[in-house]
Amino acid sequence: MMDILRRYARDRVGLFFGIMLLAFYFVAITAQWITPQDPFETNLSEGLEPPSAAHWLGTDQFGRDTLSRVILATQVTARITTISLLFSLLIGVPIGMIVGYIGGLLDAVVMRITDMMLIFPTIMIAIIIVVVVGPSEHGVVIALGLSQLPNFIRIARSAALSVRRELYVEAAVAAGASWPDILLRHVLHNISSPIIVKSTLALPGFVLGASSLSYLGLGVQPPTPEWGQMLHEAKDFLTSAPHLIIGPAIALSLFVLSANMTGDSLNESLDPKLKGRRIKRIVPRLAPWFFPRFWSRPISP
Amino acid sequence: MLKLILNRLAFMVVAGLLLLTFLFFLFHAIPGDPARLIAGDSAPETLVESIRQAYGLDQPLVTQYTTYMRRVLQGDFGLSNFSRQPVLQIVGPRLLNTAKLAGWSMLLAMSVSLLLGSLSAMYWDRPLDRGITAFSLAGICTPIFVTGILGIYFFGVHLRWLPIGGMSTWKHYIMPVMTLGLAQAAGFTRMVRACMIDALGRDFITTARSKGVPERTIVFKHGLRNALLPIITFFGLGLGHTLGGAAVAESIFNWPGLGRLMVDSILTRDLPLTQGCIFFFAMVFILVNLMVDLLYRWADPRLAND
Repeated sequence: MMDILRRYARDRVGLFFGIMLLAFYFVAITAQWITPQDPFETNLSEGLEPPSAAHWLGTDQFGRDTLSRVILATQVTARITTISLLFSLLIGVPIGMIVGYIGGLLDAVVMRITDMMLIFPTIMIAIIIVVVVGPSEHGVVIALGLSQLPNFIRIARSAALSVRRELYVEAAVAAGASWPDILLRHVLHNISSPIIVKSTLALPGFVLGASSLSYLGLGVQPPTPEWGQMLHEAKDFLTSAPHLIIGPAIALSLFVLSANMTGDSLNESLDPKLKGRRIKRIVPRLAPWFFPRFWSRPISP
Repeated sequence: MLKLILNRLAFMVVAGLLLLTFLFFLFHAIPGDPARLIAGDSAPETLVESIRQAYGLDQPLVTQYTTYMRRVLQGDFGLSNFSRQPVLQIVGPRLLNTAKLAGWSMLLAMSVSLLLGSLSAMYWDRPLDRGITAFSLAGICTPIFVTGILGIYFFGVHLRWLPIGGMSTWKHYIMPVMTLGLAQAAGFTRMVRACMIDALGRDFITTARSKGVPERTIVFKHGLRNALLPIITFFGLGLGHTLGGAAVAESIFNWPGLGRLMVDSILTRDLPLTQGCIFFFAMVFILVNLMVDLLYRWADPRLAND
């Protein structure tokens, strides 16, 4: 773990954006306490005011403080992306791992389905899912989680395929280990690194997906603020209050940029050549995310 | 080659039928009473009941499914809940508009990315390369609705150079095509650069240099031709993404295309129209995929015998 972080820390640019990403999450977690005003308090007499000392980013059509809404929107976005990312991981990784390990007809069928899904752009699949589950925050989480699923299934599958014929897996089979045990202790244990990398690389896609859906009116519903949804509202007041686009546009672009750069940089630090022992140490930390019960036992050497 | 095309067309038919079946059951899974949706919230129960009978919504699911499939195969996708026009008549012109937007954007994205990507690879790790990389990174990280709104503000509201919505004159095309095309170009440029750096590092480039072939010929003939294979695949995938992005771009610029129609129909809960939009979008994606596959085999004859 320390080695990866040390290698990552040597990449100044990556580190800078990593800190920025952490700052976004810090803002997201503390949003309730750091908003200068109540993000939902309307004051029609102060509608569409330009930036001032009292309202740094001005006010929207209902007189709500834009800065407070941008800060709360950070929390909404962080919540949606984190939950949908976990959703994809929790469903996609076991499926990919099992079909990769078992192979055969099941593998062929699942791969055909993911192939079919990958023909369509993620945003389209997300929109189709929203039709069924309805436009809401839960809807966005389900839509994003499911639409990104094929990618996670594929990455877990190819990783599982690569370790299936390894000697330690055969040894475990010979020793009579049960198959959930082999999957969890030996396969998952060895494929966690590409999955961790993949999930950091997928983060920007989740953020863009969430805000695009909300921009289209198919995601987070007002009055809950979300960057895409705020931009959608701001578009109607471009002539009278163009300042409304500044906050959400900058916040959204910076969040995606920092997520992108951090993912790239971590990707380089987790170089496949260097995986193995070094990666092993972070696995027990992340494993409870996937399978809380099985991982309480110590890992056999 | 002909066998391959027929094979793929057969696949398309099967995929289309599967898709229709999938959509039928998907739309049945949507909570809510479809008859009530058609009648409206305030309609009396007797009217809802008569609509249910008229549309066959009281029939068993299997009967409904066979009726639906028979109608669809005859080109009848039903009527829109609101305008009462046949879905096919609404979708057709909209699809054409989306094709215009996506086509021009793709053309712009391909030409910009081939030029910038090659330049970036030629001047690898020098200021020009860094500038281009920064541009493409900025493009990847900025969603098109942000660039779109900024464009509307500067060129439409502030400078008043360009119209902010619609598609009646050539001026209406500039902003949507630039927004969508440049956003795609950003991703493409990265890919073209990587492929070109790979191609320019090969032995035949060194040979060409040592023979004294002019640098421009080396890059655009020897390099680009060899980098083209992965680039074609990527462009093909990118065309799908451009169509997906068109759904968002159309909503920003009030472009009367299929994407906006789909989003509007979802918001107004016009289910027959939504179903038609999704079906035609999906068929376009499958068709595009097929064309890319064929193009790829044409560009690399080594694959033709597979």
